[in-house]
Amino acid sequence: MTQEPPRLDLLLALADDELILGHRHSEWTGWVPHLEEDLAFSSIAQDEMAHARLLYGLALESLGEGWDEDRLALGREPRQYRNAILCERPNRDWGYSLARQFLYDTADDVRTRTLLGSSWKELTEILTLVRMEEAYHLEHARTWFRRLAGGPVAAREHLAAGLEATIGEALAIFEPLPSEMELVTSGDMPMPSSGMLAAWLGGVGEELETVSLDYVLERHTQMGEMVPTASGEMASEAPTLSVPGVERVGGRWVHRGEFAGAGGRRGHHSEDFTALWDDLTGLYRAYPGATW
Amino acid sequence: MVRGPDDLAAEVWKALARVHDPEIPPCSITELGIVEAVRVDAGAIAVDLRPTFAGCPALDVIREDCEAAVAAVASDREVRVRFVSSPPWTSDRITPAGRAALRTYGVTPPSTDEPRICPFCGSRNTVQESQFGPTLCRATHYCAACRNPFEVFKPKLISLTPRPAS
Repeated sequence: MTQEPPRLDLLLALADDELILGHRHSEWTGWVPHLEEDLAFSSIAQDEMAHARLLYGLALESLGEGWDEDRLALGREPRQYRNAILCERPNRDWGYSLARQFLYDTADDVRTRTLLGSSWKELTEILTLVRMEEAYHLEHARTWFRRLAGGPVAAREHLAAGLEATIGEALAIFEPLPSEMELVTSGDMPMPSSGMLAAWLGGVGEELETVSLDYVLERHTQMGEMVPTASGEMASEAPTLSVPGVERVGGRWVHRGEFAGAGGRRGHHSEDFTALWDDLTGLYRAYPGATW
Repeated sequence: MVRGPDDLAAEVWKALARVHDPEIPPCSITELGIVEAVRVDAGAIAVDLRPTFAGCPALDVIREDCEAAVAAVASDREVRVRFVSSPPWTSDRITPAGRAALRTYGVTPPSTDEPRICPFCGSRNTVQESQFGPTLCRATHYCAACRNPFEVFKPKLISLTPRPAS
């Protein structure tokens, strides 16, 4: 896996996101303070891992001898995983996990829907199946998003705190892939990641506005210098934005430039990944060739 | 009497109809629409199956049970059973007999009609408790009329996948 074919770049981004976030969701099994949600996160985890497996199966075609699904899922070095950093963050609390699931699954919905237009038939076949199952994840995320946003205040605050903590890194789901140019040219990707990001941010911005939580896309006005406005009032300088690169233009949220929490698509991860990787791959590394 | 390939294929289908889904014991895999194709040639019998949900943990058991069932009627040939992901399984593949068996088991068959009908008392005075349940293919509901929790086999159709929010 030194010189990766472009298609592998795309598959590993999709599959590793599902595997790693699926692993985080599975850590809720037995711990959610609500039986239905224990089942929900466990079931979503099970689905995500199955989706990763289908995509790894397709990835094997781009790899040489000696690779199999288990080795792809569990037998790589940390820097060979291409998941977005958002997916590897620890669960913290249920509000955080829920906010992350909402942002991830809405982003994944835009991504998989776009990729149905890919010229790569085998990929579109897998994504057709995947999207039928992801529909239930989206329904789960949106149901809880609206329910928590509707109060009581403590629930709303919990959701808002989760969104504030995750939204910056959620944008980096659409960090460009290393071989994006080739993928777009070949038709494997019908549009670049920036186009999918624009579609997602526009939609999710509207969903946040519907429940008046779009402020999570803005930073509180910085304390400091006051400048006179044309009307003579004193106002603080134009508010800077909390999420790097996000601006409001013509009534819609758009992204330009830098990402927070980028690097995942190039195999650069946070320190949180090390512990997750150790846990996820420990058995595979300790007992090579183990089957279960 | 010489057994032709068509006769053998029919016997294989009959054998597969005796394989049941371990997570939904009253339903056979043919009633659930899991069997996609049976191919018989000189040396081998190939069976293609469609998984209901990709992450279903019963898939390995179903595959092994199919291998055993087919081998029992065609011990002279190699048996190859595999899952295919395209075209995807959809819940409208469940046969009328399969839907009836689900109801008897206390699981409401897949439908897009809301609210769901309680499989125990037939009431529509029901609510969904969760989109998830004891298996990937079932959601949990509650019947306010007979006060029983019950399960619904999730509808799974391409038309139910999310549309762009215009």
